[in-house]
This record gives sequence, C-alpha cells and structure tokens, in this order.
Amino acid sequence: MMIARAVVTFCAALALGCAPAGDRPHDPNIVLVFKHGKLSGDGAILSNILREFERRHPGIVVREELLPSSSDRQHQYYAMNLDGGQAPFDLLGVDTIWVQEFAKAGWIASLEKVLPPAEREQFFPGPIKAATFKGQLYAVPWYIDAGVLYYRRDLLDRHGVAPPKTWPDLVHAAQRILDAERDPRLAGFVWQGKQYEGLVCFALEVLHSNGSDLWGGDRARAEAGLRFLRETVAGHRITPVSVGMADEESTRQIFGSGRALFMRNWPYAWSLFQREGSLVRGKVGIAPLPSFPGYPSAPVLGGWMLAVPRASAHQQEVGELIRFLTSPDAQRLVALGLGYNPTRRDLYADESLVGARPLLKDLYPIFLEARPRPVTPYYLLLSQALQPEVSAVVVGRKTPREALDAVRRQLTRIVGSSDLPVAVEGL
Amino acid sequence: MTERPSIGASHSTSGIRLSERTWGYLLASPAFLLVGLVAVAPIAAALWLSLHRRLPVFGVEEFVGLWNYVQLWSDDRFWAACRTTLYFTALSVAAELLLGFGLALLLDGLTSGTGGSPRWAQVMIVVPWAIPTVVSAQIWAWLFQPDFGLLNYLLHQVRLITRPIDWLANPDWAIHAAIVMDVWKTAPFAALLLLAGLKTVPRDLYAAARVDGAGAWQQFRHITLPLLMPVVVIVLIFRTMDAVRVFDAVYVLTGGGPGNSTETLSIYAYKTLFQTLQFGYGSTLATAMFLIVAALSSLYLLLLRRHLQETT
Repeated sequence: MMIARAVVTFCAALALGCAPAGDRPHDPNIVLVFKHGKLSGDGAILSNILREFERRHPGIVVREELLPSSSDRQHQYYAMNLDGGQAPFDLLGVDTIWVQEFAKAGWIASLEKVLPPAEREQFFPGPIKAATFKGQLYAVPWYIDAGVLYYRRDLLDRHGVAPPKTWPDLVHAAQRILDAERDPRLAGFVWQGKQYEGLVCFALEVLHSNGSDLWGGDRARAEAGLRFLRETVAGHRITPVSVGMADEESTRQIFGSGRALFMRNWPYAWSLFQREGSLVRGKVGIAPLPSFPGYPSAPVLGGWMLAVPRASAHQQEVGELIRFLTSPDAQRLVALGLGYNPTRRDLYADESLVGARPLLKDLYPIFLEARPRPVTPYYLLLSQALQPEVSAVVVGRKTPREALDAVRRQLTRIVGSSDLPVAVEGL
Repeated sequence: MTERPSIGASHSTSGIRLSERTWGYLLASPAFLLVGLVAVAPIAAALWLSLHRRLPVFGVEEFVGLWNYVQLWSDDRFWAACRTTLYFTALSVAAELLLGFGLALLLDGLTSGTGGSPRWAQVMIVVPWAIPTVVSAQIWAWLFQPDFGLLNYLLHQVRLITRPIDWLANPDWAIHAAIVMDVWKTAPFAALLLLAGLKTVPRDLYAAARVDGAGAWQQFRHITLPLLMPVVVIVLIFRTMDAVRVFDAVYVLTGGGPGNSTETLSIYAYKTLFQTLQFGYGSTLATAMFLIVAALSSLYLLLLRRHLQETT
C-alpha cells in the first residue's frame, strides 16, 4: 500500500512537473510592459481589453507604455533599447516593415508556437508574409492597412464617369472632369509626394501595378512606372505641383475640403470624411487602386504587428497576451471602437462588425491583395536610398534612369557589392 | 616683479611640496575633467566609431581604418549636403547679421532717444527666438502653403507675384523658404547681442565726433562698427555654428526634400545614424561636420585677432 501510494504521488508530481507551463498557476505579480505607439481615438478601449486579460489571468498585470505616434521615433526607440540585449518591455508594436530587420538582428523572439501554421490561415496572407523570417513567424499581425483610391462620387456621377480601373482611365477621367468643371481650385489626383516613406509606398504601388519592381524586373518598365509619377504633375497636369510636399494628412485635407477628384491614401481617412460637418460627407467613394492595362491592382501593405523582445523573461505569458489581443473578440472591439482594421479574415463576414462598418466589405478584397513592401532586413536602408531619388523624379530634377542608377550606387556602398544580391533579394 | 610667497611654499609646512604650476593644474582639474567628460570623450568616441563599419542590425562590426573617409570622398550625397549646408549658412547668417544690426540700432535709438527703455519693443523682438523651433517650423509650413498660405496671399496682394509660389515643393525655392524661417527666428538673437554691445559704446565718443563734424554714416563707420567688431565676431561664430548644424527647422519643414534639395549635413547624419543605424558611417559624417565647424570658427577667431592687432 505504502509503495503504491508513493508511486501514485510520484507520478502525480511528475505529471504536474511535466504539465505544459500554461496550466500551472501563474507567478504572482508578473508585470508585462506593453510598449506601442499611441493609437488614435479613445485610449480606454484598448486598456479595457487589457483589464479583461488581467481578469482572466490572475497574477499578471499589463502596463501600457506609449510612444509618440511618429513611426520614425518609435523605430529609433526600439533600435536603441533592443540593441543592448536587454529590453525594458515585454511586448512591442512593430511596423510591418521592421519585422525582418528586428528578426535578423536577433532582437525579437520567434512566435512559431504562439500562432501555429494552421491558425495563420485565418489571417490575411500579406502580413503573414511580412512577418515570416527564414520560415519562422516573428510577429502576429495586429491591424492591417493598404493603399486605396478615394474618389468624388458626386462629381464622377455628374459627368457619367465610372471609377477608373486603370491609370490611363484615371488620367482621362480627371482631365475630362477638370475641363468640364473649370474650377481652378479643383485638383485631379493627389497623392503623397513628399520625400518620406509614404512616397515610397505610392511609387511601389505604381511600379507593382506595371508588373515591374525596383530591382529584378524589367528595367524599362520600372522607369516607365516612375515616369508616370512625374507625368501626373508635368504632362497630364492632373496633379498640383504642391504634391511634392504632400503627406497623408495634407492630401486628406485637400480632398476633405472638396478640392480634389481622386486621392491615394490609407483607409483611415474614410471615417473622417463621413463625420458631421465634413464638406465631402456622403460624396466619397472608395475603390482599389488602378493599375496599368493587363496587370492587377497592387496596393501596398501597411499596418502594425505585435512582437516580443528575445530578452523578455515572460515569453509564455506574453504569448498568451498576444493571442488575446489578436483574438476575434479583441479585434472586433478595436475595429468598432477605434476604426483599426482587423487582420483576421473571418471578421469581414461578421454581421455585428460589418453592419456597423460597411466599408470593411469593400476593403476585404483590397487587403487580400495587399502586397508587402520588399520583405528584406535591408528595407530601411533601401527606402532611405529611394526617398530622395523618387522625390527628385517627382519634382523633375532627375530622370527615372538617373534615379534608379543612384539608388544602386548608394546601396552598393552601404551593404558592399558582395552583400548586395542578399540585400535586394525579393525586391 | 614684486616678491610674493609661492602657494607651494606656503604649503610646505604640511609636508607637501608643490610648485605653483602644479597647484594651478590641480585646482583647474575639476574643470578639465568636466570638459573632458562632456566634450572631449564623446568626440573621441565618435572618431573611434568612424573608423569602423558598424551595422548592429546585421551583426557587422569591423575595424576598417579610414575606409569610411574614402567612401565619404566619393559620396555624392555627402557633397550635395555640404553644398546645401554652406549655402544655407552663408545666406542665413549674412541676413541675420544685417537684420540683427538694423534691429539693434533701432532699439538703441528708441532707448537713447526717449530716455526710458521701451521694454515692449525688446520683448516683441525676442518672441520668435523664444518659440520652440519645431513649433515655428510647423507655423511656417502653414504660411508657406501655396494655395491658402499667408505668404503667397500677401505677395499677391502687393502684386509681387501673379501665380502662387510652391515654396516647399519646388527644389529651387525650398532651401530659401528654410532660410527665411531661420532668419525670422534668429535675427532677434543677433539683435540682442549687438544691442548689448551698442550699450557699451561710450556716448561721449559720438558727441566728440559730432563736434568734429562727422555725419551719421561716418559715426557708424568709424565709431560704432570698430568698437562692435568683437561682438559681431561672436554673433558670427554663434550663428555660423548653429547654421552649419541646422537640423530641426529644416527637418520639420521639408524632411530634406524635395529631391534632397534641402538635406543638410545634420539631416543626412541623422538619417544615416538613427533611421538606418549605420553607426560607423554616420559617425564619419558627424566628424566631418565637426571639422567644418572647427575650421570656420578658427577662421573667425583668426580674423578677430588680426582686427584687434590692427586697431591697437
């Protein structure tokens, strides 16, 4: 008897000891620090979600620490703090374009177990691709963004013009309506032409919708794509010169004050246009970005993800927090309360959500096609080399050929000619 | 030379014999240490870093000697940034000095004419200097707006222009827009320093000059200007150093664009160091900037010394 009882006790102890860590009672007073850029809108919505997580996981406290919403500043903060090998936080919000860099640097942990391959099917493919480094997942998509075309539904209707499917269509539509309206304050097509990341996004959208890209593809076609940017300003004259200084907000203000027919922007502008007092309320339509004839529309992927510093001592607990934050319930709350778009595909068929935000139906096919910017750890170097060159093309300082040559020269210097093929892999 | 006991001798009773010179160094050592910690050490660290190829993201860290400097020599973007920076510096410092001088003379005239000091004028003049640069850059970004900005409106009202100028989106105008903003912000600083200088000029010199029949211009040319020269050089040194390192005003206004036409050395160094994390090459850029500032300051000091030798 004694022996039998001892064996049972031993086995029980063994079983307990071997039990998956998630089942064991949590260490009391674990504090998880969640660092992320400030979301727009009511901060209480996210903190309520975090309080609910704490209620379900006694012994864990989540502390939110906000960074400025400027993504440059956030990148700088993370780079400085993660480089030392220790991080004063356990969970961080990362821009889609940083995941490869952070993973290559060994700063963030693999999340293979947090989101097993079977579950990834429920997410949009673009963000999953952007978050996968050397076959392993390093971040879980939190919310998604993609470039879209805004158009003035009322003006297009008045002139019997359908939303354009191709870039030449857009040029014709804009010229036709501008000629008929004769309003000197009305612009045809505004986009982000300032020398910054937003310009790279739009340039990639144009290039990709031409079947080309910045590197491997057909060089002549890449040059033609860049030339299109310049021609909207100089040849077709549908875009004001001031676009060379425009970012998302300034184009939104131009379009929002009724002074543009078409605009390239992210989906966030939609709800601002529909607000009470907006000059374009009820007059705006949203469509996939046009493409060149014979090629599909190629919106660029944006959005943010959740990642865990390798140095965090609470990998298990923070994994659960990520699962909770990216669960359908939490994503629905964030989508309804703050207007951020879910990364889970099935939510776009969710009646309670789509009923309240019908736009999601239009966005679904766009998000499905959203293409990540070059998925490489060298992305920020690449983008920094691209920004001045593309900007020089937009303002007529350089030809597309000169600009592309200059980009190649700079990259060769920075990464060295031997590493260059690695750097531009997948561009 | 008068006889006086050396400090070292006075301490001989305590058993420590130190020469006067050693004591001097000892007493000055806290100051040396402080300067060493806050000024020399970081410069040395940046110099050391500039001899490396260091890309922490990719685990690259190797000593490359002067390789970065060789790269710098053939880096078009660096030379373009140099040209932009020097152009910006030359124009903005010259305009600030002239405008500052004008303001200072005006304020000086106001105060000496009425006897009382019109503080409101002085306060009003420092307002641009007191506003944080990032804020004033945002304000100016609005003023420069081509369609509804105040500047184009005013220029149009006085018929100087017929079509709106694209201040910030035109690569030829953008740098000048930045210069205008910088002059607006820092001319008051120059004015304040020069005003302080003007107050030290003995008034009886002017009285004597008037007796000798000197006109206003001659008084300015032969009394005010020579006596103010040291202050002018100080203004030049301060403003040149700031202008060569200009960052926030231009970065907020244009981000270095369009087409890099407003990318100054600081902006290039910032993007290299903090946005793409190339610590080695970024330090090389910072070192180059340091050398340029040092060279310009030495030049000014040399000119000042020569001027003082000539006048005395």
